[in-house]
Amino acid sequence: MPELRKDPVVGRWVIISTERAKRPNDFSKNSEPLMEGQCPFCEGNEGMTPHEIYTISNPGVRKPDTRGWQVRVVPSIHPVLRIEGDLGRKGSGMYDMMNGVGAHEVIIETPKHMSGIADLDESQINKVIFAYIERINDLRKDRRFKYVLVFKNYGALAGASSIRHSHSQLIATPVNPKLVKEELLGARRYFDYKERCIFCDLIKQEIDSQDRLVMDLDGFVAVTPFASRFPFEVWILPKDHSCDFSNIKKPQIEYLAKVLRTIMRKLKRALGDPPYNYVIHTAPFRIPKAGYWRTIEQDYHWHIEIMPRLTKVAGFEWGTGFHINPTPPEDAARYLREVNENA
Amino acid sequence: MPELRKDTINGRWVIIAVEEGRHPADFDVEPHVSKGGGDKCPFCYGNEDKTPTEIYAHRVGGTKPNTPGWSTRVVPNKFPALRIEGELNRMGVGLYDVMNGIGAHEVIIETPDHEKSLADLSDSDVEKVIWAYRDRSIDLRGDKRFKYILIFRNYGESAGASLEHPHSQLIALPAVPIIVNEELKGSENYFEYRERCVFCDMISQELQETERLVTENRGFVSFTPFASRFPFETWIIPKEHCADFSHINKDQVIDLARILREVLLRIKNTLRDTSYNFIIHTSPVEERERDDYHWHIEIMPILFHVAGFEWGSGFYINPTTPEDAARCLREAKI
Repeated sequence: MPELRKDPVVGRWVIISTERAKRPNDFSKNSEPLMEGQCPFCEGNEGMTPHEIYTISNPGVRKPDTRGWQVRVVPSIHPVLRIEGDLGRKGSGMYDMMNGVGAHEVIIETPKHMSGIADLDESQINKVIFAYIERINDLRKDRRFKYVLVFKNYGALAGASSIRHSHSQLIATPVNPKLVKEELLGARRYFDYKERCIFCDLIKQEIDSQDRLVMDLDGFVAVTPFASRFPFEVWILPKDHSCDFSNIKKPQIEYLAKVLRTIMRKLKRALGDPPYNYVIHTAPFRIPKAGYWRTIEQDYHWHIEIMPRLTKVAGFEWGTGFHINPTPPEDAARYLREVNENA
Repeated sequence: MPELRKDTINGRWVIIAVEEGRHPADFDVEPHVSKGGGDKCPFCYGNEDKTPTEIYAHRVGGTKPNTPGWSTRVVPNKFPALRIEGELNRMGVGLYDVMNGIGAHEVIIETPDHEKSLADLSDSDVEKVIWAYRDRSIDLRGDKRFKYILIFRNYGESAGASLEHPHSQLIALPAVPIIVNEELKGSENYFEYRERCVFCDMISQELQETERLVTENRGFVSFTPFASRFPFETWIIPKEHCADFSHINKDQVIDLARILREVLLRIKNTLRDTSYNFIIHTSPVEERERDDYHWHIEIMPILFHVAGFEWGSGFYINPTTPEDAARCLREAKI
């Protein structure tokens, strides 16, 4: 019997078809060839990108936009939002609009032309996470922005561009994104009733039952969510309650790098280098406003959502928000626990 | 300067890249190469025994069910996402909620002709498809376990179609889908404040401004929505207020068949036969007739893969302004 499962945070129902369960090999693979010729993200080609905003450099003196860096952040070559200007909120008849003001940056994760985060070593991923935090904290100072979404598109099916060089992106938006808002509201509603964080409860239940637990290491857990929208969807959450990703400090950053790398390697091994997206869900910028975000420090819990893109999302999902997931999360967790990420 | 536009109904913001707007030729479209019908296709004539037993059909007089002689045929999906038998059994598991996957999942085979698409059928054949949508909706509305009847069509591999023979699908659900619920709530809020239907207001603004208008006829209007999520997203909506698709009358079936075929043909010719999804958004299964909701069809051409930003934020990035899209669709040769 297939099951309908309700996401406890957003209230989204998901169909889990337990009988037609798809195994990793049932999905067709989609490996993309590396781009030939010159890559703007490679060391030595710094002149091919807009001027850098931030770098983690090698020791010694270095001029901006030259060699000698480990992680480099530049404005997107094709920004979807513009950094200059005012919001200019206005109406047009019954419709509402505002200017597309925001920041769109690219975090180049390595000077070498490598394609995936799974192939980077722990200390390099550590630097990437540190760069995320530094950029969020810098953008926080701009009062026009309410939210920074850090995300990664890997593979053409996941919406990645023709540049195969390993990179993530961030977009700072002048309004809170709808899905984030729903998650925040869902978490607050739960807190209002139970005076506990829903994510902390979820972590506890997942550790107790073990069914959907992929890893539990150094203060982080990786789980396949009960109402996973996608086959092999994995979330990484800090065990200690914290609403804001940008508050994590040194040993935690190292631990997160280790868990993220292990999960990405497990997914690569289990599913044959699948296309995927990941996003970091964290608390919005808490601009003081009476009665707003009153309990967010207690009720929200930042996390990373990793979504392998193994099935094509069809009209039904788009039109309803109802997802059909052919792999039970319990099976996905078992495969991922068993697969050896170092093989 | 790109623009942020707010969807009036559900509050969703969309980024519209107004300056470097992408035009039809800027998108890669995967070509449709027919693998051919005949023996291998369960929806072709002579293969009626390869589908589950038919539920509904338009047939020439004297032909028996599950034999050739039909022009539209509805059968249960062989690989249903939901099962028709059983009870919902809602329950909790710790902090989680679960129910059984009860529902109906049917396939509407639109024509015996393997090589045609909905845009290529005659108006009267499209009318038969719409009657099938309507008749199946009315029948399933009688089942008290179902809260919502969703009719949709996946065309092309990128849109998730697994069989190429022209068909639509219907799923009856035991819960109102979240996106529909948001639309219902959004239109309720609008009505509370203004005492007018948000969709009726939208129709009158679109007919007046005409820059997003694709086409219109006696009973229906087609336009590209102000805050389109996808490039060339196109809606078709009845001019007369009505919340429930299954209340469609005979004249409206005729008008809808014409406009649906025309719009699909415009999309096909503008976007080189691109893959697309369309869905009918209608009111839930209920007794009351809503003043604040208005059924409509949303057509979403698939021109690129949605990326992490959209999935993580519910914020869509649309690289083609709806005004440009509407102009291209109006100018398409049909």
